[in-house]
Amino acid sequence: MRLDVGLLEFLQRPLMCILAAADSAKRPSAGRGIGFQVLDDRETIDVIFSAWQWPRLESSLRQTGRLAVTFVSPSDYVTFQIKGPAAMRDTAAHDLDRAGRFIADATDELRSLGVPPSIIEPWLTRRDPKVARLTVSEVYIQTPGPQAGMSAGASAR
Amino acid sequence: MSLRLSDLAPCFEGVIPSIIATAAADGTPNISYLSHVVRVDEEHVALSNQFFAKTAANIRANPQVTLILVDCFTGDQFLLDIRFVRSVEHGPLFDKISLQLRASSAQVGMAEVMRLRSADIFRVHGIEPVLSPVEPAPAPARRRTISLPDLAEAGRAIERKIETEEIIDSLLGGVAHLLGHRNALVLARDVHRGCFTTTGSIGYERSGLGSEVAGEDGLIGAAAASGLTVKVSDMSRVRRFGEAIDADAMASEDATRTIAFPELPLAMSQIAVPMKIRDEVIGILFVESLERMAFGEEDQAALEILAGQAARALKESERAANSASGAIPAAGRTAAGGRDVHVVHHRLDDSIFVDGAYIVKGIAGALLRLMLDWHLSEGRSEFSNRELRLALAPRMPEVKDNLETRLLLLRRRLEEKQAPIQIRRTGRGRLRIEAQGSPTLAAAQE
Repeated sequence: MRLDVGLLEFLQRPLMCILAAADSAKRPSAGRGIGFQVLDDRETIDVIFSAWQWPRLESSLRQTGRLAVTFVSPSDYVTFQIKGPAAMRDTAAHDLDRAGRFIADATDELRSLGVPPSIIEPWLTRRDPKVARLTVSEVYIQTPGPQAGMSAGASAR
Repeated sequence: MSLRLSDLAPCFEGVIPSIIATAAADGTPNISYLSHVVRVDEEHVALSNQFFAKTAANIRANPQVTLILVDCFTGDQFLLDIRFVRSVEHGPLFDKISLQLRASSAQVGMAEVMRLRSADIFRVHGIEPVLSPVEPAPAPARRRTISLPDLAEAGRAIERKIETEEIIDSLLGGVAHLLGHRNALVLARDVHRGCFTTTGSIGYERSGLGSEVAGEDGLIGAAAASGLTVKVSDMSRVRRFGEAIDADAMASEDATRTIAFPELPLAMSQIAVPMKIRDEVIGILFVESLERMAFGEEDQAALEILAGQAARALKESERAANSASGAIPAAGRTAAGGRDVHVVHHRLDDSIFVDGAYIVKGIAGALLRLMLDWHLSEGRSEFSNRELRLALAPRMPEVKDNLETRLLLLRRRLEEKQAPIQIRRTGRGRLRIEAQGSPTLAAAQE
């Protein structure tokens, strides 16, 4: 499934990112993303998270190989969830840079909305960064409102 | 578990969104933000079922759920392992969640989008703190705890008061001195006009006495309709319709016969506490603050105690004034002279203008018209509450329960407008009208 242009544009905005995986007992785990990158094929997304902060995420992912990622634009609550099979890949230096930019942008955005930086700091860390490579198979609108839950933002090949 | 739900109070303020992770029957994960988590007791939380169909379906197929909660003071995060127990669609717990949701969605400007259909109850199986990359912030300057003896004394101070005016002032004084909140209003229910009218006010540039709030909108409307306390803890993202203070407020008062509601443009927290006698809401105590999260659980509890005390005292005050001596004061020409004071009464809404300036409407307006009428026809300036009550009751039956608050509103509006007619209390259940000149009373041509 390829992400459409509208969704690609949305993903350029300052965003917050949360992710979930479930272990083999179907127990869900949750955490926050600290960066991501849409690959050129437009159907793969690398999502970075701190395994130090969210250890259960990585073990769940390794057990079941499925991931859900939700991106929200804090200024207007526009929200999309992307799901699909995922696998851990090795972390590279550019992932750390990307995470640094993502954290800075998200912090600025939230600060501009009146959230004090001291409150945001505990949420986003680059400690022990890990990367999950997600193959997009489902995209849903999650913006609160009548369209919530509807499929969107991607076209089947 | 070492951490208890009651340790996480700042996570339940609805200020920073929580996160909910679920998994479908086939194990597919799902993650979304959650508008509100409510602590039910030490072992259960309730989630407003505002989240999306997928989350709701997952919970029913696989009751294991993971939550991330965030402390709104420190940003600290907590992972909760919870299991779905049941859903509620009505009843006190549902009402509580529904109301909190309404307030919290009002604070993000989405009150219309979020409407609670049902609430889901979960048992909490584990709470663990999420590692934080920053040193724990020095304990934030949380407000001092409220001393129970001081609260009891504030309650007794209200209880000791006999007059409506003193009770309301004592309640507002308690809010200011005991809790340190500087901006507060007391609104009295006006059954006749179907609204709540500002009868006492502290801390505002314009007192707003006589301003009215109708309907179920806003915190005051929601608290009045539900009989429950409603609060907003972070207004930073609420669209501020009222920021531009109307410089012509006084001029528009005369044109619209409407008094502008007092405003604290930079308020970050607001709370509306119903003043109840059993299930009857007789008024609203409204408090606001420039601080985020100004009204924690303790503040709310203290405000509810004081508001309840004041409600009972007000009821008792009405009852006592009702049974005070009903002797109609003797007639006697009062010395009148000087210029004419023009009083105009509008029959449609009982609004009263003195020398062209709008004073008040409704029962309070009808009371002034009545006193002036007697003053001019019988030549007396003293009146008893009892005769006013008897005279108005056929047309406005609810006057028997709230004459005192209406008289207070009338007196205070006349004072505030520095009108050439004033009403003074001369004793228990007795009043005198004082005019700087010779009053005339005319019916307005509607």
